[in-house]
Amino acid sequence: MGSAGSYGVGTGNSGAYVTEISEPARFEEEIRSLIQARFDAPPVSGGSFTALLGLSANQAVGLLHEPGAGEISAPAASSSPTGLGHPLGCSPTFPSNAALAERAASFPVFAAADSPASSSDGGPSPPLKAEPPDPDSSPPLPVPFDKPRRPAKRKDCEKQKAKGPGKKIKTAEEQTEGDQLPYVHVRARRGQATDSHSLAERARREKINARMKLLQELVPGCSKITGTALVLDEIINHVQSLQRQVEFLSMRLAAVNPRIDFGGLDSFLMAERGPLAASNGRGEAALDPVSWSSDPAPGTGLRTDLRPSQQSSTAWVYPYALIDHGTSLFGYGAANSVPLNSNQSKTDL
Amino acid sequence: MQATKSFEQAFLRHLLRGFRLSAVSYKSMSLQERKSAIKLSADVAMASARGSRKWTRGLITKLSREDEHRSFLRLILGTEYGRRTKPRHGSWKIPRSKKIVRRSLRVCSRRKNNLRAPHGVKSGVLARTLVEKRTHALKRLVPGGESLDGCSLLDEALDYVISLRAQVDLMQKLLTTFEAPKLRALSKCTLPERKASFVGK
Repeated sequence: MGSAGSYGVGTGNSGAYVTEISEPARFEEEIRSLIQARFDAPPVSGGSFTALLGLSANQAVGLLHEPGAGEISAPAASSSPTGLGHPLGCSPTFPSNAALAERAASFPVFAAADSPASSSDGGPSPPLKAEPPDPDSSPPLPVPFDKPRRPAKRKDCEKQKAKGPGKKIKTAEEQTEGDQLPYVHVRARRGQATDSHSLAERARREKINARMKLLQELVPGCSKITGTALVLDEIINHVQSLQRQVEFLSMRLAAVNPRIDFGGLDSFLMAERGPLAASNGRGEAALDPVSWSSDPAPGTGLRTDLRPSQQSSTAWVYPYALIDHGTSLFGYGAANSVPLNSNQSKTDL
Repeated sequence: MQATKSFEQAFLRHLLRGFRLSAVSYKSMSLQERKSAIKLSADVAMASARGSRKWTRGLITKLSREDEHRSFLRLILGTEYGRRTKPRHGSWKIPRSKKIVRRSLRVCSRRKNNLRAPHGVKSGVLARTLVEKRTHALKRLVPGGESLDGCSLLDEALDYVISLRAQVDLMQKLLTTFEAPKLRALSKCTLPERKASFVGK
């Protein structure tokens, strides 16, 4: 990739922080070229999720030299993100991908369906994968409940089409509710009332039960509990505990280290790629070197240590080899050779 | 169920951008201010990385109600801010009337229950009120959940739990990343001292 090649050259040239701070224009050009190069990027075959991830990796590469928002270039920073378009998932240059990204973001959240969920919902992931290509139509109901949704949709269509009294097909046949039929009408179960109200209520209850099941799987320790009220109790407790955890963690982050200036935090985090990569895995590793801008606020001893690491670490994309906590800052020499190798492989991409 | 990698990536990117923009500095801000700035950017990052869901919109609306957050939100969201927090008076009225309707329904149902109760306690009624109480509690917890239907409330709660979990994970990883050099510094510091003492001897 020529753009990546020139990109690598760019990182090689800009060794010092100072030059990078003073050349926002060059970065904007690079970013624009990368944005155009994105079209040429080899699309990952398969579902749109992988395409999205491939896109995000490229975008990540493109955003690597996003002009930093140090004290100097704060206005530039505020303008450049808008120049780039909205960050990932809603870039205006790819309107279809924006919608895709939103849809894909909602789908894969549920895509890792566990086997009980898949068995109960009839394998939501294949129908999920079929869904993303279809553009901006946001479904009235969420995706994983594909089966109940299809009945609801058809029901709505039928309601619109048919007259009032005939709005659902009421049969006293032995068929259960249309789970897998292509035309999905709500049918009465054997021995149950068939008037429209109870049918609607039953459909609603089934929807609620399906979602409760999903929530039960999500919240730990909830699968054994029977009864809506207790499950809801657990869910509420879980949400409250998560919110409290967020507060607590933000307090700890605020108290973390007086040496670190959050404005220049990016360069610090760039050197800390190793441990973060270890815990996060590939996807996040692709992001982190990307989002770090390369201009820290001057004046901390920590950052002067990081300066030599600047060039090589900017190209870390998949630093699996670097996953060694000891090497990133202090055992610097050992880490240096490895990122250079990954740098090479990155430019080859 | 897991949050996707792309969601986490977008989240992290937004978070760092928020940190930069909010200019969390140790010189000018107290701990409380820093903490609220961090929490604000974390929440906004979560909401904007997720896209457009009812709870995200509710969260952003709730955050933008405080004047101090508005400039920050405007920076982060850019044009989306105007879109999302435009005062939609038309739709505002609807939740209010729903509340009133619900309250009146509740009063009516309570009257009915009081009339029925003398006949004998029905477990169904009891179960229903328990569930209702908890549903209301959940509505208060999930941002933007007040005006939501029963099953869409569960949807949003599901989504919200997943995103919250991802947020907690991310912040924990961030924290370990920050703490790591300190711990390493502590452990490494001892080595040169030991060497020096050895050489000295």
